[in-house]
Amino acid sequence: MLDLGVLGLANPWLLMAFVSLPALWWLLRIIPPAPKQIRFPAIRFLLGLQPEEETTARTPLWLLIMRLVLASLVILALAGPVLNPEPELAGKGPLVLVVDDGWAAAPGWARRTDMLQRFADRAQRQNREVVLLGTAADPAKPKLQRLSAADAVRTVASWQPKPWPVDRAAALEQLKREPLNGAELIWLCDGVAGDRPARDAAVRFADQLRQLGPLRIYADPIEQRAVLLLPPDPSREPLVVSARRPSPGGAQSLILRAVGPTGEILARQNLKFEAGAAHADVRIELPIELRNQIARFELEPSAGIGGVVLLDERWRQRLVGLVGEPAAQAAQPLLSELYYVEKALGPHAELRRGTLPELLAAGVPAIVLTDSAQIGPEARTQLASWVEAGGVLLRFAGPRLANADDELVPVKLRRGDRSLGGALSWARPLPLASFDDGGPLAGLAVPKNDVVVQRQVLAQPGPELAGHSWARLADGTPLITGAQRGKGWLVLIHTTANTAWSSLPLSGAFVDILRRVAALAQGAGGTPRGLLAPLEVLDAQGHLVAPGPASEPVPAAELATTIASARHPAGLYGRVGAAPDAARRVLNLASAVPDLQALQPADLPVQAQPFAGASTEINLMPWLLLAALLLALADTVIGLQLRGLLIRPARAAAGLIAVLAILPLLPGDRPAWAADHDEAVLSAITETRLAYVVTGIAEVDSLSQAGLEGLTLILNRRTAVEAGDPIAVDLAVDDLNLFPLLYWPIPSDHPDLRPGVRDRLDAYLRQGGMILFDTGDAATMIPDQSGPGPGERRLRELLTGLNLPPLEPVPEDHPLTRSFYLLQDFPGRWAGGTVWVDHAEAGVNDGVSSVIIGGNGWAGAWATDEYGMAMYPVVPGGERQRELARRFGVNLVMYALTGNYKTDQVHIPALLERLGQ
Amino acid sequence: MATPASSPASLTGLRQHAERLADRLPPLLVAAERVAATVAQGVHGRRRVGVGETFWQFRPYSPGDSTARIDWRQSARTSQLFLRDQEWEAAESVWLWADGSASMAYTSAPSWPTKADRALLLLLALGSLLTRAGERIALLGRRRRPTGGRVGMAALCEDLLSRTTAEPSLAPVQPLPRFARMVLISDFFTPLEQLRDRLRGFVAMGVRGHLLQVLDPAEPELPFAGRVRFEGLEQDGIALIGNVDGVRQRYRGRLAAHRDGLRDLARSFGWTFAGHVCDQPPEPPLLALYTALSTKAQG
Repeated sequence: MLDLGVLGLANPWLLMAFVSLPALWWLLRIIPPAPKQIRFPAIRFLLGLQPEEETTARTPLWLLIMRLVLASLVILALAGPVLNPEPELAGKGPLVLVVDDGWAAAPGWARRTDMLQRFADRAQRQNREVVLLGTAADPAKPKLQRLSAADAVRTVASWQPKPWPVDRAAALEQLKREPLNGAELIWLCDGVAGDRPARDAAVRFADQLRQLGPLRIYADPIEQRAVLLLPPDPSREPLVVSARRPSPGGAQSLILRAVGPTGEILARQNLKFEAGAAHADVRIELPIELRNQIARFELEPSAGIGGVVLLDERWRQRLVGLVGEPAAQAAQPLLSELYYVEKALGPHAELRRGTLPELLAAGVPAIVLTDSAQIGPEARTQLASWVEAGGVLLRFAGPRLANADDELVPVKLRRGDRSLGGALSWARPLPLASFDDGGPLAGLAVPKNDVVVQRQVLAQPGPELAGHSWARLADGTPLITGAQRGKGWLVLIHTTANTAWSSLPLSGAFVDILRRVAALAQGAGGTPRGLLAPLEVLDAQGHLVAPGPASEPVPAAELATTIASARHPAGLYGRVGAAPDAARRVLNLASAVPDLQALQPADLPVQAQPFAGASTEINLMPWLLLAALLLALADTVIGLQLRGLLIRPARAAAGLIAVLAILPLLPGDRPAWAADHDEAVLSAITETRLAYVVTGIAEVDSLSQAGLEGLTLILNRRTAVEAGDPIAVDLAVDDLNLFPLLYWPIPSDHPDLRPGVRDRLDAYLRQGGMILFDTGDAATMIPDQSGPGPGERRLRELLTGLNLPPLEPVPEDHPLTRSFYLLQDFPGRWAGGTVWVDHAEAGVNDGVSSVIIGGNGWAGAWATDEYGMAMYPVVPGGERQRELARRFGVNLVMYALTGNYKTDQVHIPALLERLGQ
Repeated sequence: MATPASSPASLTGLRQHAERLADRLPPLLVAAERVAATVAQGVHGRRRVGVGETFWQFRPYSPGDSTARIDWRQSARTSQLFLRDQEWEAAESVWLWADGSASMAYTSAPSWPTKADRALLLLLALGSLLTRAGERIALLGRRRRPTGGRVGMAALCEDLLSRTTAEPSLAPVQPLPRFARMVLISDFFTPLEQLRDRLRGFVAMGVRGHLLQVLDPAEPELPFAGRVRFEGLEQDGIALIGNVDGVRQRYRGRLAAHRDGLRDLARSFGWTFAGHVCDQPPEPPLLALYTALSTKAQG
């Protein structure tokens, strides 16, 4: 690669092609565009003509320059130009990429991926082998991979950090086994070590790497390196979360979030490292209900797994109700029964005192009941049902219990108490000997000889006693018994809560016992036992995910001392298959990082460089080729233009404008014939057309169509009227003024007129339109029957509100009787119906009637099929009747077209009479 | 494109089209400019008194009229003497010619016919009109006697069918009777001098003629652009025009000058000249011929 600073060329020798440009220049200049061939008869007039402009005979200069630019672009593109090229790799052997992919690398992993990608790309360009080595041991895949550069590019893209610490010593062992001649080594260092030995190992590791070949180390600046969040001490109140940074530096402020089980943020607090301090604390003070919901602490913005601490039951603080007066207010507090309970539970639970009904009403999950507390029978019932519902009742024995019949105990008790080691007794006070394995107290440390019990209440021996015994004295008598009642627990300590009967309240075991018992409260399920499997584990970014195949279960007892690793990743552990609300234990990363140490610049043999951002390298080849392609397209268009093969721009523009202008005219939601209104108007007025009103009833409309077609045929055959095909008219939509005559059949089930139609009809009639209403009533009426038929009644309803002149039967001298044929009656398919016309006044519409109403079903008589044969018989019958019907149609059309022209005929008798004289 | 004269089917179609076209016009009456003894009697009236077989009018006898012309039957009805006038009937021979040369077989767009098709259509329509009016027609250059009626049309079609594609682009010379009429339909792209020489021969025979120039729309417009190599249809040369836009004005000027020359030529012979472009309907030129033929009757 030729490196020119900002610009690099992958194939610089291709620039030699620029030498050919002058030749190209010459070639382009002498080749004019090929002419178009046209055969043309009037060639004679073209011979000898030459245009003034000779330019097109040669390539215009600007076009020539454009083409040369095009060629230059192609040559440049093929030379593989790269903007901001990466520096070359050193050495000839494999490129060794050593990556600290442990937890500490997680926050800046994107920077590392970018770096890896850049190195892998460069290796690919130089076709170098790549050795990938992650220092965090991952049992799922080989630590060291020797790959071709192309495979390395893919592998690098999917590389993820691990949620456990790195093991650089093991990585070094692997690397030493590889043959690495002439290798260049890159170490992407996370810059931290878990403790001093680990730090020393890192320093050794760097030294060894340097011996293998030229080494470059990349690391974040010290102040940007991983921060570790430490789990709070469960025994301290309130919770104090601490964070540790690898190196004391300037003041640094982080935000700590307390997050609930479903991800809700319960608290956000500033976590501030003072200048020069590597440690920072933050107190989390929350109401106990919220505090107990905290499932994890995490840093904001996300700092990977190092910034996440999971909490489990151990960190929950219980609300425990104590029945009785506060011990401090008693006259002799040390003798008070509650004093020791308060002292023992105080750090681990919030205590609430009150009478039993008060505590029950407050919904306390656990209640401690001492011997002196009096319970009424009513409260006892309430207490029993509270236990059934999930409460934990811890009772202490005492003289009262010893002498009472009390059913609210886990095991049956003997009356009276047992005294050990009193003045009158041979027996010596007995020590606490063991905690039963099956009980919730299992695993507690047995205090050595500091717990002695002088008096106790005894349990009635029975088969179930052993199962309910949680702790025993040296002679095997149960000291603590417990039983589950419903969802809750009933626990009895067979001695007093003060030191009157035993020294138990004075021992450390008392604290543990009370905590364990309190932890039973509220469905916590107690302390899990047995083998705990990882249920959910934290990934390196601090998200809970399903555990991988390499993770292994841990015995419950060992979990406290387990160190987070690939085998036991940090996360939630619990009994497999246990209920969802069963107790879980957490394993935090902090267990694996006892002491966070930064690798100081002085520790490393090579100066560590900060991570550069993503590669700014830009391959210019595609862009240059794109530009060349665009130029080539432009050149093609220009070439076509010069040769005249292109549509002239003006025409194209006109066409475009026409298309754009037509677009809004495209048919919308309108009747078919009205879709293109102009077209429809033109077709209606270029020929005389008969029109009928669409009723919406299919058979009526088709009959109208057929009838008018038949009439049109007759008109064309017999008269000077050259009518076109009939048109269907929608009264509500179409322009009625185009039609001299409307045929409107009115069946009795004619639908109602749409709003606005009456106004349109009124205007049409006023402007000289003519409508023939055909009720078809003659079909249904007996001859000479009086009164309106069904169609006529419907017609009256439809035309209510229309401004119509008075009607009269067609008078003898009406122009309708003589406009073409001489007629006196007007049969249609049926004969005999009276035909009515409006009595037109002389001044209105030239005295031409505008409404003709009849019931003879004319369309049926006119209707012909495509062969010109009549479709329906006429009644009573005879071709004469059909002929008369046709003549009526002809007269009607003539009347509509000629108006009062034939009115003059009425004077003929008078004229003839005069002539006769 | 195939020359229409070579295809009988297309010619039949053309003839039908021509008949339809002729239907729309009233029968064309060719006015006889001069009565000559050599002209045979026709069968249609001239709407004035003359030599003919059809009754025209009765008129009272006036001194000087031949007594042989007295219509005794009419005279017997009244007390006056009446003469019977016959209508003046005359027929004319019209020689028709349409250019069938290769340059006519050209159209610049499929939406209108070639010049040759249009010329033939006009020719046939005119023939149909003329025969219907009783005139006698013949195709120029076929040495056939002019005939009228359906026979005349059939003969015209027959002669057209026998034409070949390699027709000369000048009207053929043929001895014609004096005072014959002639209709020439062509694009008249021949040089004016040649045309003048050819027509002068006809004029010398006393022929009155009408020139109809049929052009394709592309010819007056020259609607081309860019670099074009024009090639004639009759091996009459090749013109490589670098930029058609640059020569369009001058080309149009030349064409217009040629047209004017044609018009002047026609006028100098006492002939008429009309132009027609193929994308226009054929009726106007037919009407133009009609007016050209009938106005002469009044003159």
